[in-house]
Amino acid sequence: MLSWILPAACLCAWFLVCHSGMVPGYLLPSPVEVGNACYLYIFGIPGDAPYSGRFWDDAAASLVRVGLGFAVAVVAGLPLGIASGRLPVVQRFLGLSINALRAVPGISWMPLAVVWFGIGLKTTVFLVGLAAFFPIFLNAAAGVQQVDPLLLQAGAMMGCGRFRSLFTILLPSAMPHLLTGLRLGLGISWAYLVLGELSGVPNGLGALIMDARMTGRIEIILVGIILIAIMGRLSDTVLKSFMKFCFKSARRML
Amino acid sequence: MELGGKPLLEAVDICRSYQLNGSVHQVLEGIRFTVRQGELTCVTGRSGCGKTTLLKILAGLTSPSSGRVLLEGSPVSGPGPDRCVVFQEYALFPWLTVEENIAFGLKIRRVEKASAKEAVERYLALMGLSRFKDYLPREISGGMKQRVALARVLILNPKILLMDEPFGALDAQTREDMQSLLLELWEELHHTILFVTHDANEALLLADRILIMGINPGRIVKEIRVDLPRPRAKEEREFLLMGQKLRAALRS
Ligand SMILES: Nc1ncnc2c1ncn2[C@@H]1O[C@H](COP(=O)(O)OP(=O)(O)OP(=O)(O)O)[C@@H](O)[C@H]1O
Ligand SMILES: [Mg+2]
Repeated sequence: MLSWILPAACLCAWFLVCHSGMVPGYLLPSPVEVGNACYLYIFGIPGDAPYSGRFWDDAAASLVRVGLGFAVAVVAGLPLGIASGRLPVVQRFLGLSINALRAVPGISWMPLAVVWFGIGLKTTVFLVGLAAFFPIFLNAAAGVQQVDPLLLQAGAMMGCGRFRSLFTILLPSAMPHLLTGLRLGLGISWAYLVLGELSGVPNGLGALIMDARMTGRIEIILVGIILIAIMGRLSDTVLKSFMKFCFKSARRML
Repeated sequence: MELGGKPLLEAVDICRSYQLNGSVHQVLEGIRFTVRQGELTCVTGRSGCGKTTLLKILAGLTSPSSGRVLLEGSPVSGPGPDRCVVFQEYALFPWLTVEENIAFGLKIRRVEKASAKEAVERYLALMGLSRFKDYLPREISGGMKQRVALARVLILNPKILLMDEPFGALDAQTREDMQSLLLELWEELHHTILFVTHDANEALLLADRILIMGINPGRIVKEIRVDLPRPRAKEEREFLLMGQKLRAALRS
């Protein structure tokens, strides 16, 4: 309930600003206009108007890119993060390089990615994967590092070997950190999705925004922004529910 | 109580030092004693004299700088379910319920599901925890946590139970309840117990034998045999006399 007050207030302010004529319509279209455009974009018949009915294609393309990029980041970031949090050798081996790379803004990889992978799926997946890797890696490392050694000792005295304790103690214990890393990673995935799609792919929500800028359709830009916000929020909820569904520790420690 | 059981756990000249800021800090020196089968031994001494360190060495969780720990004559090299520890800080797994915490060790042993469930239920009942089996550690009181910590190791049938000030954080009443629960269990299950405490009364109430540790470096300075019949009452003359003796030994 409380969380809807701010969005509602923003909507009201938006209405007021538009209808009082303080800001001209070509800079900020009214909520009604944006709502209509959004409806057409989602439910319109494809081909009727420039953007009508394109949503499903765009959303599917974007979801595949985010999903693949995020998956790459998880597959690389979680094991490396866990290893670097527990094994000083790995920590020393990776620490410097990863911190140096982390300082490079993701956007500066774009020209290189376009040269390497061309325009399209691979470039976006690369950018998304790279950006999402860092929060996942860092949180996993911090999480397993902070596990109470006493819990591991308790496991050991009950006969739990080092390898088994990875799954029975270390990961459950680090679950809040792991989940935080995954959620941050997924959030940043959406940001870098738009960046990757700005490189000139034909479809996707980021491409929609770029396209609308060229054709001067401000309301479509806003539609794109709002839809990305909604999909980002939904994907976060799905991720959280999935983790809670799969892991006791995620259900009980959050 | 029968004290002539065969030697179970032997500490042979255990020393342990830590390096702190370049200087060597000798925590334990020449610790040597034997715990016999079925015996309830208390180790007591001032805070910081190395009781926890000693217990962890006996458990195999820390290695001694020199000296050996023998279990039934053979040296121990690491932690194992034959020497279970009840920690000062409970150390329960926060993402497991009371029931799952107690079942943890059996699961590690891959005990068949039905018989594990049966055993867990028996220990839940024994500890008076049946009603709380679905609670998480953060949802139960300190006394209950300590009962869970006790149950999860008793269920593994360890050869010796190492307890590190297990009731130190409890209020006086709960503490007395836990002490009598421990004695009841001990009489029923005939475990061998090494019990660390800094409370002289607790040691007198429980122990067959009390080892008093001195500080800097930690070493065993005195051994007191407690022959009082059980159940012991704190108001009895003999108990009070032994208490005076023990406290005098602790002070010196
Ligand atoms: N990992 C460690 N590194 C350095 N010094 C340590 C370490 N563990 C224990 N010590 C030192 O060993 C000494 C004994 O500690 P220990 O925890 O065994 O005492 P204790 O008798 O259990 O005290 P308490 O009754 O307060 O629990 C302390 O002086 C402590 O500083
Ligand atoms: Mg201690």
